[in-house]
Amino acid sequence: MSDTQLPALPLEKGAWDEKELSRRKFLEITFWAVSGITAVGLLGTGARFLVGNSLEPTTSSWVELGKVAELPKGAVNRVNYAMKAKDAWREVTQRGALYAFSADGANYTVLDGTCTHLGCIVQWDSAENQFRCPCHSARFTREGVVVDGPPPKPLRSLQTKVENGVLMAQI
Amino acid sequence: MSKVGQWIDKRTGISGPVRSFLNYPVPKYVHNNLLYTLGGLTAISFGLQVITGIMLTFYFDPSTEGAYNSVDYITYTLPLGWLVRGLHHYGASAMVILVALHMLRTYFFSAYKKPREINWLTGVLLLFLTLAFGFTGYLLPWDQKGYWATRVGTSIAGSVPLIGATIANIMRGGAELGQSTLTRFFATHVMLLPATLALLIGVHIFQLRYHGMAPAITEKAKAQSKSFVPFFPYWVVNDAIAGLGLLALLVYISATQRAPLEFPADPTSSNFIPRPEWYFLFYYQILKYFPGGLEPVATVLIPLFIFGSMILLPFIDRGEERRPWKKPVTTIAAIFYIVVIIIFTVLAG
Repeated sequence: MSDTQLPALPLEKGAWDEKELSRRKFLEITFWAVSGITAVGLLGTGARFLVGNSLEPTTSSWVELGKVAELPKGAVNRVNYAMKAKDAWREVTQRGALYAFSADGANYTVLDGTCTHLGCIVQWDSAENQFRCPCHSARFTREGVVVDGPPPKPLRSLQTKVENGVLMAQI
Repeated sequence: MSKVGQWIDKRTGISGPVRSFLNYPVPKYVHNNLLYTLGGLTAISFGLQVITGIMLTFYFDPSTEGAYNSVDYITYTLPLGWLVRGLHHYGASAMVILVALHMLRTYFFSAYKKPREINWLTGVLLLFLTLAFGFTGYLLPWDQKGYWATRVGTSIAGSVPLIGATIANIMRGGAELGQSTLTRFFATHVMLLPATLALLIGVHIFQLRYHGMAPAITEKAKAQSKSFVPFFPYWVVNDAIAGLGLLALLVYISATQRAPLEFPADPTSSNFIPRPEWYFLFYYQILKYFPGGLEPVATVLIPLFIFGSMILLPFIDRGEERRPWKKPVTTIAAIFYIVVIIIFTVLAG
């Protein structure tokens, strides 16, 4: 920059001010230093703004899945849940799909129906006695263990409780 | 120059740069080969996306509550809404096709070689940004197709080892798809990507002008390489005719096949089978073949390899030879890529 030659000015225009030019290097260094610090500050602030609250840990809530009396024993029951939640600045009804199973009517397994591969919702195949994902043909046992296909992990098993005859799961 | 022109020129100094731009000498072998319109046609398709995109934002509501209904309104109620949305929807696919064809033309003509490496690199970035446009725009109607394709897409990002969860959360604006996802995809699609793409196109075209066209590769073309025509009107007419043809085709498709709108997004749906847009289908299919612990191979290594090979191409293929029939390695490699993409796209369909 300050080591580059300045173009000669036309005679009728005038000449570069030699006295000012003696400060050229100092001004350039100061400019780049201040610009660099400002840029880092702006980028850092901007990045923090854009990330927002996206990395905050999610809070878990208990959702009602239905009366246990209405969930047949020995069968895998698909249950859609709905709960009030905060979605950024909005109050929304968050909905999802779970699968509930109990062999004895007392102890329940509730699985998140989200395939652990890429997030599609699995379907219960009662003929095969397995969960099947329609996206990439993954298969899971009734307990959510991967039998076949690309998922890296079993289906997420949720904490459950029964209160006043209502099955609840912790999302 | 007219008196008005002289008045403007005295105050702006614009006639010099404009004359220089319009009178740019184009070799005759370029003017006579329609393949060279692909670059201009790509820029025209981007211009069409910008114009129709701006028009759509006058009516689009980027909220999870209103997005679907606003797109439904544009498509089925608003006068000529079907046309503007159709041009934008099908224009997006046209742009991807044109970017790919333009890239192939450049590749097979070896126009990435020294001293045009930077132009090739800006082109690879432009391809990447075009795909990013498709990915971010797909979610905006907040219908089943867009919602589930984005859910799968962000899950793919989430499978990157170590930092995947952080990347996916930042993309979504949280742990799940929701309002934050829609607004950041909207802002990216409507502001960040267009500004970046426009800047890169400027660099790309400046580089083209600076270096001129890559040398001819056939004897017939070489014979015409010392004969030139001015950019305006000769090359502009070629591009204009091609552009009008593209517009006519898109209008026809928009009129006969209204731009699709599935049912509103339903996070509980297990019957809807997610599918990305057609230009990502091959990759979606490839994911099936990498189960469990091999997943990062498909989600990290394969994309890295594809883009890495594109970026490194000018630094790997540094020979003087430009004729594709004399370069079996690069020619067969490209054909292999194309065949693989077609096969996996068909399998996914």
